[in-house]
Amino acid sequence: MIQKKICLLGSSNVGKTSLVKQFVEGIFNEKYLTTIGVKIDKKVVVFENEQVKLMVWDIEGSDRYNPFQEKYLRGCSGYIVVSDRTRSSSLSEAVEIHMLARKVIDCPVILAVNKYDLPATWNWNDDGLQDHHNLFDEVFDTSAKSGENVENIFLKLVELMLKD
Amino acid sequence: MSNSDSTDTIGSDLQISQLRSIILGKNSHIVTDIVKKDARHIVGDVLTEALNDRQKQDGSVNKVLLPLVEKSVEYSVAHHSDKLVSSLYPLMGRLVRKSVTAFLTDFMEKTNQLIENSFTFKGLKWRFIAWQSDISFSEYVASQIFLYRVEHVFLIHRETGLLLKSVNSVSQNNQDADLISSMLTAINDFVGDSFSIDEGGLKEQLQTVSTDTFNLLIKPGPNALVVAAVIGNPPQKVNDQLQLTLEDIHSLFDNELNDFSGDNEPFQNSENLLQDCLLSEQKNTEETSANKPWFAWIMIFLVVIFIGFQMFKSWTNNQLAAKITLIENQPGIIVKSLNVVDVNTIELHILRDPSAILVTDWLNDNDLIINNLNLTEHQYYSLDPDILYARAQKTLSEYPKITALRTNNTLVLSGFISFFKMEKLLKSLEINGYKTGINLVTTSLKLDNQDATLTSIDSKKIKIQLFNTLIERISVMKLDFDLGSDNVTLPMKIQIKHLYSYVNQLKELASELDISFGLIVIGCSDNSGNKEINEVISLNRANNVSKILHDLGLDEKLMYVTGLGQIDIETINTSARKVIFNVIHVKSKA
Repeated sequence: MIQKKICLLGSSNVGKTSLVKQFVEGIFNEKYLTTIGVKIDKKVVVFENEQVKLMVWDIEGSDRYNPFQEKYLRGCSGYIVVSDRTRSSSLSEAVEIHMLARKVIDCPVILAVNKYDLPATWNWNDDGLQDHHNLFDEVFDTSAKSGENVENIFLKLVELMLKD
Repeated sequence: MSNSDSTDTIGSDLQISQLRSIILGKNSHIVTDIVKKDARHIVGDVLTEALNDRQKQDGSVNKVLLPLVEKSVEYSVAHHSDKLVSSLYPLMGRLVRKSVTAFLTDFMEKTNQLIENSFTFKGLKWRFIAWQSDISFSEYVASQIFLYRVEHVFLIHRETGLLLKSVNSVSQNNQDADLISSMLTAINDFVGDSFSIDEGGLKEQLQTVSTDTFNLLIKPGPNALVVAAVIGNPPQKVNDQLQLTLEDIHSLFDNELNDFSGDNEPFQNSENLLQDCLLSEQKNTEETSANKPWFAWIMIFLVVIFIGFQMFKSWTNNQLAAKITLIENQPGIIVKSLNVVDVNTIELHILRDPSAILVTDWLNDNDLIINNLNLTEHQYYSLDPDILYARAQKTLSEYPKITALRTNNTLVLSGFISFFKMEKLLKSLEINGYKTGINLVTTSLKLDNQDATLTSIDSKKIKIQLFNTLIERISVMKLDFDLGSDNVTLPMKIQIKHLYSYVNQLKELASELDISFGLIVIGCSDNSGNKEINEVISLNRANNVSKILHDLGLDEKLMYVTGLGQIDIETINTSARKVIFNVIHVKSKA
């Protein structure tokens, strides 16, 4: 069976753990628990009649007090950068994290604009998002709460990794 | 010369050209036909060697043959299954037997271990501790039995942290092996990046991780890690084996590790290498032998002894109870309750006639020696014939001149006795259950005339009292006749004999006391039938009785015989067919 290590990156409180929980267990919890270090889950998905075991590394959110930990990216086959549409700063932070990751690894990357079930913040600029589209292989609007695009984002990443 | 040389050269060139045209040209079929003719021999000679060489070169023979063989087998199964079954049958039988034997051996071994570890005090203790510590019993047993045991071995890709292969000491799969591998890698990354880099530029590397149950030994290599989860304290040889295995894996799977892209299929063959790391060592044999369930065996032995003893005790008690119950066969003894506590302690509650045998005597006679006999005895008056006879014998022992004979529970007395002694004897026997006319015959008992008892009694009052007693005794006598009959039956005759005896005694006393007396014999009849006839019948009854008295020797002058006819008293007139007696006495004038 093919195994792939994938990572979820992003600022604090953008919903990385919730996305993983929704993907692996199919549940969502409003309660916020910050991730310390890294949390690893696994899930087997089927892509084009082939089973692929995903080892999902949910890496703690980075901010000014907690710098980006590129060490966990080692051996990663693809990663998802998560931003939060209710907090416009999370988009620029996502781009920044992506740039830092690019320095240590070159692999497929997807931008997830999470919390799609909530209204976007007043200063959220979709044009600004368009500017960053070319930095990522794909961009998805996702909702860990409703599950929208959660499965798709992971399957898309699998597709990109296997073609890579 | 040069011309001839050039001519030769031209000729050979032509020949070569012709030869080339023959082989490669339109006539090439001449060569190929010849080769085809011998192709079978040519290929057959080198086929085996060629296959071997090609397999060594690139391994492509296996790849080519594999689908062909698979197709052939598939075809054979589908179309010639009988032949396939026949061919495989001898092999299958052996395989099945081997498999079953292996299963049974494994099952027996596990059962033995389970019994051994379950029925000892230590086993129970371990179960409790395992439950308390929230770990499985088998893990706890392993930690106690083995000095160490390598439970799991993981081969992990160093760069990605993905699990390449894992083996376990027991047959169960470790479902969390993937996560363990990834987390170990994450921790290792954390350690490597968080602590200082050594002089050689190498990062810090995690070597061991200890938990309550496991020690994780980590052997890092350039491309892969070998991790062993060990119960107990692993010796150096486990580290050595891990190192050897790691080196072998790097040597054998160098390309696969370098080109790893997530597919762990090539590493399935590393299982044998990893199996070598599943080392273990049991604690010393003395301790193992101490694990034998001696406590349980002693308990079972004691329980068996106790049950056996109780059964034997119960059996002996029942036997003793059955023997003691036989005392009821003794006359004059009734067992109310019997409780055999043990062979030496008995609680017995009985009813006993004073004339019956003593319980202790009976026990001794039957060789029943009981140290603690708790006997509760209540007296009662038995009517058992044997007891009556025993009482009579006791009474008769005071009368040596009297002979007693027991026939059919009736006591027949004979011999000579004085009047007063006879009165006393008859009273005593009556108290003891023998009554004249019922089960006592005294017809052979004769008054001792020589006995001076009567004359020796000087007291006139006593004589008067005796005289009155005799009168009373005569007055209560009555003879019952059948309906319309005046016939005197045998029992009546016996009573008449007694009457005669009383009258004789009365006669003696009367002469001493100077009293004149006469016996009145009164015949009676019921009211059935004719009144005149009844008067005749009543008189006939009285006459018949008086005649017998006369025959016995009683003077007719002392008797007055009369018939009352029918007795017209409403309550008795249907059953008044009797002869009754009375005595009239007067003081003599002289």
